[in-house]
Amino acid sequence: MERIATQLGRAVQGKEAQAQLVVTCLVAGGHLLLEDVPGVGKTTLAEALARACGLSFARVQFTADLMPADILGAQVFHAQSATFQFRPGPLFRQLVLADELNRAPPRTQSALLEAMAQGQVSLDGATYPLPAPFTVVATQNPVDFSGTYPLPDSQLDRFMVRMSLGHPAPEVESRLLTTRGVAPALDAVELVSGPEEVASLRALAAELKLDGAVADYVVRLATATRQHGDIERGASTRAVLALGAAARAQALWESRDFVTPGDVRALLVPCWAHRVLLRSAVQGVTARDEAAHLLEEISRKVPAPR
Amino acid sequence: MRHGLRLRLRDLGAGAAFASMGVSGQLPVWTLALYGLALLCALMGRRLFGRRAKLTALLLLVVAVVLGMNVLAGSLNLVVAACAFAGLISAHRLLSTPEPATDGQVHLSGLLMVAGGAALTGELTYGVCLVAFGVLSSMSLALGVVEAAVPEGEPVPVRQVMRPLATGLTFAVAGAVAFFILFPRLNWNMMGPRAAPGLGAATTGFSNTVRLGGAGTIKGNPRIVLRATLDPAPDKENLDAYWVGRTYDIFDGQEWTNVGGARGTGDWMVTLRPGSEGLIHQRVELLPAYGASTLVALETPSRLGNAASHTQTGSRRARIQELGGGEVRFLDPGIAFSYEAYSLPPGGSGDSFQKLPANEQDALLTLPENIDPRVAQTAARVLNGEREPLAAAQKLAAWLQRENSYTLELGGDVEDPLADFLFERKAGHCEHFATALTLMLRTQGFRARLATGFFGGERVNDVYIVRAGDAHAWTHVLVPGRGFVTVDATPPAHRASQASEFLQDLLGFYESLEERWRSAVVDYSFRDQLDVARALVRPPKGSDEDESPSRLPPLRAWATALVAGAVTYGVWRRLARFLGRERPHDATRFVDAVEAQLASARLERHEGETLEELDARLAREHHPLSPALSPITRRYLEARFGGRPLRQGESAELLATLKRAIAADARRAAAEERAPRARRAS
Repeated sequence: MERIATQLGRAVQGKEAQAQLVVTCLVAGGHLLLEDVPGVGKTTLAEALARACGLSFARVQFTADLMPADILGAQVFHAQSATFQFRPGPLFRQLVLADELNRAPPRTQSALLEAMAQGQVSLDGATYPLPAPFTVVATQNPVDFSGTYPLPDSQLDRFMVRMSLGHPAPEVESRLLTTRGVAPALDAVELVSGPEEVASLRALAAELKLDGAVADYVVRLATATRQHGDIERGASTRAVLALGAAARAQALWESRDFVTPGDVRALLVPCWAHRVLLRSAVQGVTARDEAAHLLEEISRKVPAPR
Repeated sequence: MRHGLRLRLRDLGAGAAFASMGVSGQLPVWTLALYGLALLCALMGRRLFGRRAKLTALLLLVVAVVLGMNVLAGSLNLVVAACAFAGLISAHRLLSTPEPATDGQVHLSGLLMVAGGAALTGELTYGVCLVAFGVLSSMSLALGVVEAAVPEGEPVPVRQVMRPLATGLTFAVAGAVAFFILFPRLNWNMMGPRAAPGLGAATTGFSNTVRLGGAGTIKGNPRIVLRATLDPAPDKENLDAYWVGRTYDIFDGQEWTNVGGARGTGDWMVTLRPGSEGLIHQRVELLPAYGASTLVALETPSRLGNAASHTQTGSRRARIQELGGGEVRFLDPGIAFSYEAYSLPPGGSGDSFQKLPANEQDALLTLPENIDPRVAQTAARVLNGEREPLAAAQKLAAWLQRENSYTLELGGDVEDPLADFLFERKAGHCEHFATALTLMLRTQGFRARLATGFFGGERVNDVYIVRAGDAHAWTHVLVPGRGFVTVDATPPAHRASQASEFLQDLLGFYESLEERWRSAVVDYSFRDQLDVARALVRPPKGSDEDESPSRLPPLRAWATALVAGAVTYGVWRRLARFLGRERPHDATRFVDAVEAQLASARLERHEGETLEELDARLAREHHPLSPALSPITRRYLEARFGGRPLRQGESAELLATLKRAIAADARRAAAEERAPRARRAS
């Protein structure tokens, strides 16, 4: 994990914490939603991840006219055998970058749903499994609202972690200018891992011990979000499970074989900020900030198990 | 002194338990002394038997033999002996090395002693001791539990323990009261007879014999012995009446006795003399302070009956028996008695001399064999030929009051107390006066007898009370045609109680408490429980008869049900919370201790920051404590969430390393603070 994160750090300089989070999400078996203004390295990050881990990679640019078949694949008539054959779409990769997801119409978005949730694609009555470890990294441009279809809550709930990269620090930016020059950032990324290793990491994370007290803590946090006065809809059960899985992956960073409340706290905001629905009318990034603020308040108020 | 408070509470609790037996006044004095000594040593922290536990246990064997011999000799009741032995076991345990087993034995012996106390006495003081034992021992036990939980070397949070404990005790007491009031009570007889209260120094009071002589001073005793409701009720604050217990007819020079023996074998009712018009009805209660079982009634009693004796286990109808001298006694023992009596109106007993048995007729003129001749001479001189019995008695009484003074000082045992009183000391108490008058009358051929009982009667809330100090003796002189007439030779100012006003008030207060205790606790029976239940459901009788009968229970029943429901709910809520609370994890206790140490190091903490986060922050800040804290945090997390519990003694080790690190950090900080100053100085 360290290796992967280092490679990611090379691709997007000055964002080590975010790089860690991306790897955590990958190990936890979740999908990632990057929400940020254009040009801060979202795509680079996703590509670097694929490269470092040696995952097959596809990038789908979501547009307003993108149809489900465009990403899932389609039955194509094979003239020689006079049969219909399934031609897999770009989704049949281990790492799929769904760029500007919110530009696609809801139909396409929901086609992605099943793929993300079940790791399989159903088309014309047939089910096609997706390659493991299947991970979607979606990006979303929060500023630009015209011509977008905001992601439905159900879709948002399927992303384990939402994060934003933010602008790099000035010194990092200036270093970028002086050192990188024309060389593409991704060239610096080396292959340090493979799909098997990712799979074994996932298996390792799933086996970590989650003490009853910590589980109880997660549930208490969820209850607190459900009862909070400023939150319309609190964390779902899926959110609870996602936080647990993410916390397990987080524990691996310190090569622990058990989860601590600190792991839970570290991932509370990335995991849940996009899942809670606020009562106030704010939207987009403002809403995320607000939600993050509320969640931090809750994590301060709900006593951690001792 | 980590265990000091807990042990002191334990010892005091045991002391209270012993006191609950001690207040009965039945334990041998030497056991009281031994226990007091042991308790004192224990409270001062001197555990004398800590070294040679087995050897000192032999002392108990010696004590057991001594007590056993006392029992065999008949000087000690078996129950009392068992109680005394339990007390001495407790004393031995108090002086042993304090360890968990000893603590348990002390508490257990405390329970045993409280049970023994219940067998010996049921008075208010016992109740107080019982509560004291309960409170002190529970506090000691609770502190013990907390001490066991706190790691060695850490302070015990006494205050934090006492608060929930106080709540718990309140609930326990409330529960006990509810249990006491509502749980159906069965009657079981306690073993062992009850000794009459009032043991110890001689006090005034009604005694079963009249014996002149003795040494010392009789103390005035203001305890209330009798309460009576009179019908028709006299409209007087002070009744100043004679309450007769019995009469005597033979004096042997030292002591008064009777010739008549018991009549009958006991009955529900005794008729002493036929009734007439205008009988005075009395409903009398004899209180425990009375100490005897002779029925007392206003002079002159006609009929006595409808009696009940009150024991620890409840009240029951009692048989009474007539003995010689017009004495009526209860056949069964009891703490207190109640009965009804009818007395003839004042002015002669109506007894006709002819109806008395011949031997009693003779007895009324009998004189002691060795009577001083001066008695007869003096009587003859004073009477100066007076032949009318009543006038003669009054003349002699007036002479006695004039010539002799009243004192409660006893004159000591002399050969002839009567002559001593009349011619040497010229001072004595009511028995001397009454004896002198009776015998002087007899020397002159007048038939007379001695009567004992009480004089007085003070109205308190429509009830007349008589105190132990009102005990009195007087003379009955036989007047032909009128029967026996009372003549009192004692100076009027000294007839009633001699105790001080303040003492009377104080004792009155104690008596009222004691009375409440007896009626509400000792005598509280199944029937009372039914009454309580009935009173809760039905309105008081006769209060609102004119209201139309309603099928619904009255308002107070609803209110009671509401209160009971609320209380039950509250208790349940508390209990649920209490039982639902998890036992703190070992690691949690460890982390509490770590955080306490960090707090003492005055480390800046953020709100809601866990140890894990603090450790991460210190590591980021390269804080000097971080290297020491990290492994501790790591170990805590493993123990708490990783399923690898702390080894025995590991927490102490880790805490010690942290303590050293904190101390080193403090030294370094101090040195740094000094350094710039030194630089400035140079």
